[in-house]
Amino acid sequence: MLAWNQKNFLIVDDFSDFRSSVRSMLRELGVKVVDTADTGEEALKMCAQKRYDFVLHDFNLGDGKKNGQQVLEDLMTDRLISHESVFVMVTAENSQAMVMSALEWEPDAYLTKPFNRASLAQRLEKIVQRKTLLKPILQALDRGNPTEVLNACVALTQQEPRFAPLCLRYKADALRDLNQHEPLEAFLKSILADRPQPWAYAALGKLLFKRGRHAEAQTVYEEAIRAFNAMPVLYDGLADVLVATGDSKRAQKMLEEAVRLSPYAVRRQRLLGKLALENEDFDGASKAYRQAVSQGQFSRFKDPETNLGFAQALISRGGERGLDARTRVEINQTLTEVAKENGNDAGLQVRARLMKATSVASSDPEMAAKLTEQAMERLEGMEQFLSADAALAVASQLKALGQEDAGAGILKSCAEIYGDDPQVMQNIARQTDDPEILGAGKAAIDFNIQGIRCYRAGKLGEAQDLFRQGLALQPKNISIALNMAQSLLHMGVHNLDAASLAECQNSLKMVGKMPESDARFERFQKLRLRAFGE
Amino acid sequence: MKDQDLGLDFSMVIASTVHDMKNSLGSLIQAHGQWVKQLPEACRGTPDQGVIDYEFAHLNGMLVQLLGLYKLGVNQLPLRPDYHELDDFIEAQLAFHQEVLVSRGITARYAVDDFGLPGFFDRELVGSVVSNVVINAIRFARSEVLITAGQVGEQLVISINDDGPGFPARMIEEHTDYVLGINQNSGSTGLGLYFAANIAKQHQRKGVPGHIEITNGGELGGGLFSIYLP
Repeated sequence: MLAWNQKNFLIVDDFSDFRSSVRSMLRELGVKVVDTADTGEEALKMCAQKRYDFVLHDFNLGDGKKNGQQVLEDLMTDRLISHESVFVMVTAENSQAMVMSALEWEPDAYLTKPFNRASLAQRLEKIVQRKTLLKPILQALDRGNPTEVLNACVALTQQEPRFAPLCLRYKADALRDLNQHEPLEAFLKSILADRPQPWAYAALGKLLFKRGRHAEAQTVYEEAIRAFNAMPVLYDGLADVLVATGDSKRAQKMLEEAVRLSPYAVRRQRLLGKLALENEDFDGASKAYRQAVSQGQFSRFKDPETNLGFAQALISRGGERGLDARTRVEINQTLTEVAKENGNDAGLQVRARLMKATSVASSDPEMAAKLTEQAMERLEGMEQFLSADAALAVASQLKALGQEDAGAGILKSCAEIYGDDPQVMQNIARQTDDPEILGAGKAAIDFNIQGIRCYRAGKLGEAQDLFRQGLALQPKNISIALNMAQSLLHMGVHNLDAASLAECQNSLKMVGKMPESDARFERFQKLRLRAFGE
Repeated sequence: MKDQDLGLDFSMVIASTVHDMKNSLGSLIQAHGQWVKQLPEACRGTPDQGVIDYEFAHLNGMLVQLLGLYKLGVNQLPLRPDYHELDDFIEAQLAFHQEVLVSRGITARYAVDDFGLPGFFDRELVGSVVSNVVINAIRFARSEVLITAGQVGEQLVISINDDGPGFPARMIEEHTDYVLGINQNSGSTGLGLYFAANIAKQHQRKGVPGHIEITNGGELGGGLFSIYLP
């Protein structure tokens, strides 16, 4: 029997009747400490102040509030509860929360309302038994140490083979965190050959995708969806693959399916909005972005890009017809929020103003001109790099608002920063024919390609020389700057003379204004850490 | 007027209504449970109380099943199989029905063959099937219900046996034509078997689907329901 009287409980539900009913069940079991909260936000605060052994959380706490899955995500990401603690998701319906599952974090159990004391006690005791057994794994997880997790899985499986199924997912996650790609692939395939589970399909699909094996990833996801046709996470995965292979129409269909199954997911709605916008389905884009904005209010995935995307979708939906009053209010609201909440981000300030100017260009040209002017002023002194997508949008808006030269300037700097990416250059070419913009980077890019070749062949000196020449032509090119720094750091930072170290640090400083959303940001951080030793 | 005229998807209307009904019933059950606790000892455990507890459980089971059937119909029934300890699974079932069993004076026990590894199935879906069969068994049992789990060949078999009069002969003969039962005045029983068979069928391993069987006899001599999961 469990020592109930030593355990701390937190009940989170918006119905006071339910809270008091569960509280009295727990009291009857001998529990002394029962705290309650009626919103997820409150629950998070309480968990930050006190360690709870058990959290019983209602899944649906009403519209416009964090739901149980979001609270669980926040608790785990911010490490507000231990892996040894028990989180039980209370749902009104058997399958309701299931569609949320196979995400990164899963509760220890689902409990369907109504339940009685006997059921509650039985579930909790079983979970505690299981967690006691898994203690070494859970403690390693709390320490964030995947190697220990792996060892603990092996030890537990050896000690008692019947516990092996309990370890499968922990083991797979640990292999993933350790980047042990081949063992992970073999392990997941063996699970799928024996007893297919949705999470194993999702993990394998993700791994193959990450390794660039798109066709195989697609096959895995398609097979998974045939076996488990109501798991949104599988549609998400397939959509990612389809985007990468350029089939954005079908990718959108997949996300629409996932949203139908599980509409409450900010990231999914945002991605759907983005895809629909690309596919010129402006109704669909508006709808998805609207959901993403409103759900995002209370989510850790709140993101100004969502608001900007929403405004863009609404403007595009209006098209030649222009915008009705209600839409203008909606656009104004969503953009004001961006400007207000990102006071220090020059790029966002510029983009919010230009977007707004675009939306009022025909209804209020004076306002549009004023906003454009403000945006241009901020653009002037801005050091930070816009992402390629943002730069392209800003350039086309500037052009449409009559600022052709400023637009061309943006395209030019975009070509310098991202010129080695053929996709970006293609998009730039859609907006301009100017050979000075389209051809300026060619020589630098050639140096870069040759440099990479030499670097791979181990000809370090030659590689450095080539990167140096490329960088002299295009000092803001992120790829060349990172390659320059990496080739200098190759022999170890301690072997660099003062001049080389300065060169390395300067090239990193120059691209230090890159957007954090850039895929190379992590690589940049690592190089910076080595070069500056911070 | 047809539902198309209203622009309504009628099955969705039913499903969302059932969803609300289930929430309502949940609150009712919870409140009733609180209220009973405040009654003097002598007023508890009366036959009326048995009826109330049984019908609560029965109603809840039917609503869960109806929602399940709706999702099955629109291809939205999420199947999420995982490994589960069988004693844990069956204990949870009995705990769920504890009040009804006590107030109807029925003894429930279970027996699990030890076969090393836990079972592999969707806990919620198989749980709702077993729960409905247990409610049915409680209705017909005189004094005992027995749940067993074991392995037959490569398959896991969970059986529910009672000491009542057993299933009618016609039902056993025609149990593969479950849906017929609905038209033939046998109420929701046919639908329950249809649901159970479908849930069983969703569980597949290497091309072998699960299935259900009903018969009479077993250790307790009454109705015997079995679900086979590969």
